[in-house]
Amino acid sequence: MASDALKKRKAKVLRSEGGTPEMKRGRAEGDQQESRVYNEEVELDGRDPEQDYLQYKESCESLATLMNEIQELKANGAKEGCAEVEQRRMQSCIHFMNLKKLNRLAHMHLKRGRDLTHEAKQKVDVLHLQLQNLLYEVMHLQKEISKCLEFKSKHEEIDLVPVEEFYEGAPQEISRPHLTKNDPHQLTLARLDWELEQRKRLAEEYKESQATKEKTQKTIEEKKEHLTSLQPGLNAIMQASLPVQQYLAMPYEQTQKQTEISRHLPPPLYVLFVQANAYGQACDKNLCVSINGDVDEAKALSKPPEDSQDDDSDSDAEEEQEKTKRRRPTAGGQLDDKRREMLKRHPLSLCLDLKCKDGSVLHLFFYYLMNLNIMTVKTKVSTATDLSTAISAGDLLKSDTLLSCLYTGDQGRETPNPANRYQFDKVGIVCFADYLEELGHPYKWVQSLGGLHFPSDVTEAVCVGSSLSASHMESTMKLLRARVQSRLALHKQFASLEHSIIPVSSECQHLFPAKIISRLARWTTITQEEYMELPYTCHVTEAGLAKETDLYFMGVVERGTARLQAAVVLSPRYPEISPVFSLSLSWKGERTGRTDDNLRAIESEVNVFKNELQGPRPGHQLLTNQFVRLCVCLDVYLETEEHDDGVEGPREFPREKMCLRTVRGPNRLKPFKYNHPQGFFSHR
Amino acid sequence: MGPVELLHMSVFSQSFSPCGRFLAAGNNYGEIALFSLSAALSPDATALSQKPILTFTAHEGPVFSLVSTDCQLLSAGNGEVSAWSWSELIKKNVKALWTKKPKYRSSLEIPEINSMKLQSRDNSLVIGAGDNNVHILDLEHGVFKSVLQGHSDYIHCVSVREREAEILSGGEDGAVRIWDSRTGQSVHCIEVYKYETCARPQYGKWISCLTTDSDWMLCGGGPSLSLWHLRSLSPTSVFPLSGCQRYSVFHQDMILAVGEGPFVSHCLLGGDVKAQIPCSLQSVNTLQLNSNSTEHQVLTVGGSSKHIDVFTNLSYRAFSLSF
Repeated sequence: MASDALKKRKAKVLRSEGGTPEMKRGRAEGDQQESRVYNEEVELDGRDPEQDYLQYKESCESLATLMNEIQELKANGAKEGCAEVEQRRMQSCIHFMNLKKLNRLAHMHLKRGRDLTHEAKQKVDVLHLQLQNLLYEVMHLQKEISKCLEFKSKHEEIDLVPVEEFYEGAPQEISRPHLTKNDPHQLTLARLDWELEQRKRLAEEYKESQATKEKTQKTIEEKKEHLTSLQPGLNAIMQASLPVQQYLAMPYEQTQKQTEISRHLPPPLYVLFVQANAYGQACDKNLCVSINGDVDEAKALSKPPEDSQDDDSDSDAEEEQEKTKRRRPTAGGQLDDKRREMLKRHPLSLCLDLKCKDGSVLHLFFYYLMNLNIMTVKTKVSTATDLSTAISAGDLLKSDTLLSCLYTGDQGRETPNPANRYQFDKVGIVCFADYLEELGHPYKWVQSLGGLHFPSDVTEAVCVGSSLSASHMESTMKLLRARVQSRLALHKQFASLEHSIIPVSSECQHLFPAKIISRLARWTTITQEEYMELPYTCHVTEAGLAKETDLYFMGVVERGTARLQAAVVLSPRYPEISPVFSLSLSWKGERTGRTDDNLRAIESEVNVFKNELQGPRPGHQLLTNQFVRLCVCLDVYLETEEHDDGVEGPREFPREKMCLRTVRGPNRLKPFKYNHPQGFFSHR
Repeated sequence: MGPVELLHMSVFSQSFSPCGRFLAAGNNYGEIALFSLSAALSPDATALSQKPILTFTAHEGPVFSLVSTDCQLLSAGNGEVSAWSWSELIKKNVKALWTKKPKYRSSLEIPEINSMKLQSRDNSLVIGAGDNNVHILDLEHGVFKSVLQGHSDYIHCVSVREREAEILSGGEDGAVRIWDSRTGQSVHCIEVYKYETCARPQYGKWISCLTTDSDWMLCGGGPSLSLWHLRSLSPTSVFPLSGCQRYSVFHQDMILAVGEGPFVSHCLLGGDVKAQIPCSLQSVNTLQLNSNSTEHQVLTVGGSSKHIDVFTNLSYRAFSLSF
């Protein structure tokens, strides 16, 4: 609003720019006023506000009296503009001017007062700041002082000799009583000096005793060496006496040694040792028993329990556990140690060598796990001839498959001792199978041989100790020998199968026609997963005939453009359990035993009617004979296949086999059965 | 019977008992098993009730055909026919009432019997055999009264038209022959593979399934399954089923057919395939509908497995009986 008014005024000024005399006069007046204001400020210094106040009162009063007089005059009827009134009006005007001036002066006074106060305040602020800084400095210094007061010297931690002893023991030049008696600081310094001196002396003493100790040790060592140097000489004498012993046919030292060592065997291995020795002497001259391992360690191990308790190493294991329980299982490493401790083997092991007729030897290594109270076995086969040729036979003689399922369902993957389950839970062993590689397999028959009996779901006649071992010894040894022989036979067969030759013995020649055209093209080993993935084997898997312990192979039989794939499941108990074949033929499209009735018939010809194919006992030729029959059946299948008259050209497979009828029955089966002397094929 | 034998078992024939409560099934090992339908279908059925109540070896060769009269079970295997009394079998007494063998000319291999049908008009049994002939056994006197000769290869299947006194036979030679049962003469011979609409040279020409109903005949095998009008002797509809059909039957206004492939095909008379109901067998040899008992009305199929699938409703497989 104010600015608007200003503009209006300016506009008026512009309009009357013509230079009215009043304006010029006004401007001149303004100049005059400025100089007066300046004068007024100077004047202000010389004036007293008190005086001004009195003057102001005076003026107001005289103004009031003048007004009253004018009023009286007017009331008395004085005319407008009469001289008295005019005079009085003039006087009051002067008073007004005076009032105005006073007012202005008062304002200026006020302003000056304010300025002065402000200046003073600033000064106070500066001073206050200075004060604060000083206070802070004081506080800091106080802190420094307290820090200094709290300082701890290192010597306070050292146990010093008491003051009295110090004065007694220390020489004068260190104790300096004239200085130290009154000055605690000097006293402490002196005591520290004394301490240093004493310690230096003791260190020297320690070094000397160390040297003497080493010297004595050296002499002991020398004496020991001397004693051990006597050993070879003694051994040589012993060795020299051996031929004499042999010459006299008294191997008493050998047996004596063994029986000496056998005393340190744990009970199960001892039972096995005695029984195997007895069986070897009585029935089986080709069985050889020996003890391996560190005898000293075993001696050390067998001492303490003999003192305290009779025999049971189980209680030993429990003690061990209690001991470990008291310690808190914090780190994983500790758990590892515990596991190792639990799975520890007895230092002694038993080696049984089983010789077969053809010169191959089955080595069985029996171990005893002390804390688990079970026995395990590892195997090795050494043969008279070199067997490294067959690739597909790699698994046959491996330690972990060789003895699998020696008795039905005995895979040796889980521990047979039910108590072990709880022990495993304590140390966090999830699956015993993870440790088989290292420890060997705990087959049930191994426990039986060692006279260990663990109750299982199946109720059996309970017999413990030597009688249990004896009852199993003969049958197990026979099974072991049969197993090795069957594996070695398979090994040889695989070697020739890999070269696409199917060996047929003369005893089995009559089972097959003279001319077989289909040939084995390939023989490889496959994994169980690969086997399961094949589309034509699912029925075998569903029937539970393809187990984890079984071995799996793939054979390919070819004739012309036809290619027959045969997936084979080989049970570890072969030939007792016969192999199972599943077929898939690729010829004019893909057909499998699942979809083609004739292929299914070939499968059953090979799988079901296997008794004819076993050959001489114990049936080691079953697998190869099955393969020959497969080739024969493929020949029949291809030769009797319906020839489509619509297709030009000769038959791919001319009919050479003699058949009575090519098809029979509702599902139109081909004749797969070979009749020996006549040489024709007929239906089952 | 070991697991390998079970794995390679095939079921070839089935027959329901006259009372409809039992099912007899014959397999490739010459065994006949008796299943109790009432036990298997009861609400408290267990796995055990799906096992046979009785299994016995009836023949040396596979049992390709089973037929029930009102009191006997007739089984065919190894070229012979045996009769068993149903009432004795249910009591688990296994003893053949009689065993008869048709006169075969060849001697090297005993011809099999692939199909048997009852002819109630003169109480005789029509037998389709592997020696290319149809033999007729008089059940009244127990003698083979006539031989129908004409096929050039073995006979897969026979069918009987009671009203017209006609016998039909289909064989490996691809012909369906119609015989007059009174005179024993061949009346007609239809060579199905010569009809272009049915022929499938890639499979072959044999006829493996044959069934009749009034004036209609259903036949198939190597050629496609086809419906024939017998008075005009012409195919009216051909069913587009893949694989060879082994057994087919008229059921109400539908045709049920089984063969290669794990399903039961439902066909309409017009020639359309209405549905293919899956079953657990890879190929199916036999299919039977139980019409002897109203409470156990089921459809059973057997084939290349030890299992026999049971359909309580035609549209899905309910469970499996197994040897």
